[in-house]
Amino acid sequence: MKVEIRKILQKEKEQVVIECVEITPEIKDIRSYCLAKGKELSGVADECIFRFRLEDVYYFEAVDEKVFAYAKDKVYEVKMRLYEAEAAYRKYHFIRCSKSMVLNLMLLEGISPALNGRFLAHMKNGEKIIISRQYVPDLKQAVSLHP
Amino acid sequence: MGRYQGRNYWIELMMAFFVTTSIICVLEAIMGMLFAPDVQLSYKAFFVPPVFGAGSVLLGLVNYSRKELTIRQVLCRRAVHLVLVEGMVFGANFAVGAVFSRIESVALAISIAVVFILVYGVLYLNDSWHAKQFNRELRRFQGCLQKAQ
Repeated sequence: MKVEIRKILQKEKEQVVIECVEITPEIKDIRSYCLAKGKELSGVADECIFRFRLEDVYYFEAVDEKVFAYAKDKVYEVKMRLYEAEAAYRKYHFIRCSKSMVLNLMLLEGISPALNGRFLAHMKNGEKIIISRQYVPDLKQAVSLHP
Repeated sequence: MGRYQGRNYWIELMMAFFVTTSIICVLEAIMGMLFAPDVQLSYKAFFVPPVFGAGSVLLGLVNYSRKELTIRQVLCRRAVHLVLVEGMVFGANFAVGAVFSRIESVALAISIAVVFILVYGVLYLNDSWHAKQFNRELRRFQGCLQKAQ
């Protein structure tokens, strides 16, 4: 695929244009990826409200009826339920991996089997999180470009 | 949304059954050759491995839990599973009047544990293979999207 970058003067007119013969699943994924870039969320950390990028979130975790977004530098509490995060960000490659976690496939290094019959997700920041067996088919389907 | 408790769960159970049955066949052959090399068996003996295999897999339901278990809890449940399988095999043998010497009992108990460990080992290797496949797909998936950057 040929990639071309053209510099412009006005920030408001920044855009990505995809020229294709046919809208394939690959093209749709590239579109989702571009849309995710620059998407911002707000969350609370250290009693302050911050804006942070969705693409920097490694995973969302639900703990005691609160949902936390684990980003590169901080952990933010976000005002949404986990199922809402799962539904809203699925198109940005956030997939449920256990009852309490939704992980970012783009920041996933790989998976390995765990001794307790589950799988471990190795994130790109070195963190390991548990994947329940029941969610492995969903993860497989998500990375399969032609399901 | 695909749920593991559906089709995949039964596939995993069937796989555990066939792996267990196969390993039991091999261990029984070895044990028989060591301890009773002159014994002649009828065709009924062919039912023993699948019956024990099915029993072991059914007893494996002790590992099932709606909640996510810690590694320690999983290991405890597996220990209980092993004890139940040992009980099933010894109980079935006593029920048909089989009598074992001390050495034979120990050898049988060890062989049951070996089968148990080997089955989980094979299932772990299968999981490793699936994980490697997934990781290959994941790299392709990430690489395809990052080309857009």
